[in-house]
Amino acid sequence: MYGLDAISAHNGWQLAALGTSIVFTGLIILSLAISQIHKVLEFWDKRHTYYQRIKKLVQRKHRSEAIVSDPVLPKNVKGSVRQFKLLVEQIGEPFPLPKLLDFSEKCGFPHSHSSVNDLLQAKLIVPDGKGYFLWNHEVEKNIKI
Amino acid sequence: MVDLLIEFLSNTGFALAGYQNIIMILVGIVLIYLGIAKKYEPFLLIPIGFGILMGNIPVIRDFGLGIYEKGSFLNYMYYGVMHDIYPPLIFLGVGALTDFSAMLARPSLMLLGAAAQIGIFATFLGALALGFAPNEAASIGIIGGADGPTAIFLTAVLAPRLIGPIAIAAYSYMALVPVIQPPIMRLLTSRKERLIRMEEPREVSKREKLIFPIVGFLLCCFIAPGALPLLGMLFFGNLLKESIVAERLARAARSSIIDTVTILLGLAVGASTQGDIFLTGKSMGIFILGASAFAVATASGVIFAKFMNLFLRQKINPLIGAAGVSAVPNSARVVQIVGQKEDPTNFLLMHAMAPNISGVIGSAIAAAILWSFLGG
Repeated sequence: MYGLDAISAHNGWQLAALGTSIVFTGLIILSLAISQIHKVLEFWDKRHTYYQRIKKLVQRKHRSEAIVSDPVLPKNVKGSVRQFKLLVEQIGEPFPLPKLLDFSEKCGFPHSHSSVNDLLQAKLIVPDGKGYFLWNHEVEKNIKI
Repeated sequence: MVDLLIEFLSNTGFALAGYQNIIMILVGIVLIYLGIAKKYEPFLLIPIGFGILMGNIPVIRDFGLGIYEKGSFLNYMYYGVMHDIYPPLIFLGVGALTDFSAMLARPSLMLLGAAAQIGIFATFLGALALGFAPNEAASIGIIGGADGPTAIFLTAVLAPRLIGPIAIAAYSYMALVPVIQPPIMRLLTSRKERLIRMEEPREVSKREKLIFPIVGFLLCCFIAPGALPLLGMLFFGNLLKESIVAERLARAARSSIIDTVTILLGLAVGASTQGDIFLTGKSMGIFILGASAFAVATASGVIFAKFMNLFLRQKINPLIGAAGVSAVPNSARVVQIVGQKEDPTNFLLMHAMAPNISGVIGSAIAAAILWSFLGG
C-alpha cells in the first residue's frame, strides 16, 4: 500500500499529530519548570527576610486588633474589668459563663449581664472551643484602664 | 600443493568479492576522505568509513569472522549497537560536555527545539506513504532528529535490519549539516531577519545548573519513560559536570568513555553495512527520506522562530530555529556562520545553543514516543 492510503491505514496522521503534540507539551513543561528555578532559588535565599516580614505583619495585625478592641469597651465596663478578673481568678479557668454571671450577681455587680456581654464583645472573655470560657490576658494588657 | 594454493586463492577476498563489496569499499573510502580532507565530523566518519572497509572484506561464511556471525570480534562490537548500550553511553559523554546555560537563561527558545522535531513526524508520514512498514518509517523519521545515537537507539528496537543504512544516513547528514542547512535558512528568511540581534542572556547561577539535570530528568522521563536510557545518561553526565566534586568522573565521561564508545559504535555501524545487505532499494529510499527529514526539520525550526516573532516584543533571529535539529554543536555553528555572513559583528552561537540542546532532548522524547507507539 502506498500514498495517503498507507498513511491512513497505519493511523499515521494520528500518530504524527499526537507525537508532535507530546514533544511540544514535554518541552513546554520543561521550559516552564526551568524558568522558575532561579525564582525559587531567589525566594529560598531571602527566606529569612520574608519570615521576618511575615512575623512583623502578624505582630502588627495582633496589635491593631487589640487596639481596635479597646474603643468598644464602654467606660462604665472598664471599671469592672478588674472586678471580673478577680472573680475569674477565684472561679478558675476555664469557667462556665452562667457561673460567672451567678457569682457577679451574688457579689452585687451592677448590670452583670450587660457587662459580661461587653467583655465578650471586647474579647476579654473568649470561648475555649469546648463550651467553657477563658480570660484573655493579651487583650487585657492593651486596655488602658 | 597446487590444490592447496588453489584453495587458498579461492578463499581470498579477490575471489570472494562481489560488486556490492567493491561499491561499499568505495563508499567507505569517500567517508574517510570527507572526514580527513574536508574535516566533516572526522570523529564519526573515519571510524564509520573504516568500519565499512572492515565489514566489506569478503570472508568465508562460518569462519567466525563476519559481523553477523555469532562469536566473531565484529559481532561482539555489534552487540553494543543491537542492545542499545552505546547510544546511552554517548549521551553520558554529551551530558558531561554540554553547558546548558544558554537554555536555562532563555527557556522559551526550547520551543524551537520542539518545532524542529516536526521533521521526524513529517518524514515518518513520508516513509509510510512510500510503502515502508510503520516501525521502519519511525526509524527513518528519527533521522530528522539529526542525532545519530538516538537514531540507532530507536532503530535497534524497531527495525534492527535497517541499523546500517539509517546510522550511515544519520551520521552522513549530520556531517553535511554545513551543506544542507544554509540554503534552506537563506530561502526562508529575509536579510532584515538575518540581521536581528538578540538580547544578552541573563547570567545563570551555578545552583541553577546543578538543579537543572535533576528537574529535567524527572520531568522528561515522567512524560516519556521510553527516553530513560538516553536522557537518564545525558542528565547524569551533566550532573557530574556541574557538581564539580565528581570532576574526575565527568572528565572520564567526556573524554575516554565517549571516545571509546564512538570508536566501537562507528566501527560496528560501518561494518554492519555489508554490500549484499546494504545496497538495496530500501537503503536508497532511506537516504532520500533522511535528506528530506533534515530539510523539513531545519525549515520547521526557522518557520516556528518567525511565528514566535509575531508575539514577541524583543524579536529573535529566525536563523537560530535551524539549530533546533540536534546535531550538537554543528547546527549552532552553521547558524553563527550564516548570521555572520550578513553581519560579522552579530554573534548568534550562544543563542543557537539553546534550541540546539533542547533539540537533543526533543529528539530523545520523540524517539521514546515512537517506541511506545510502535514497539509493542
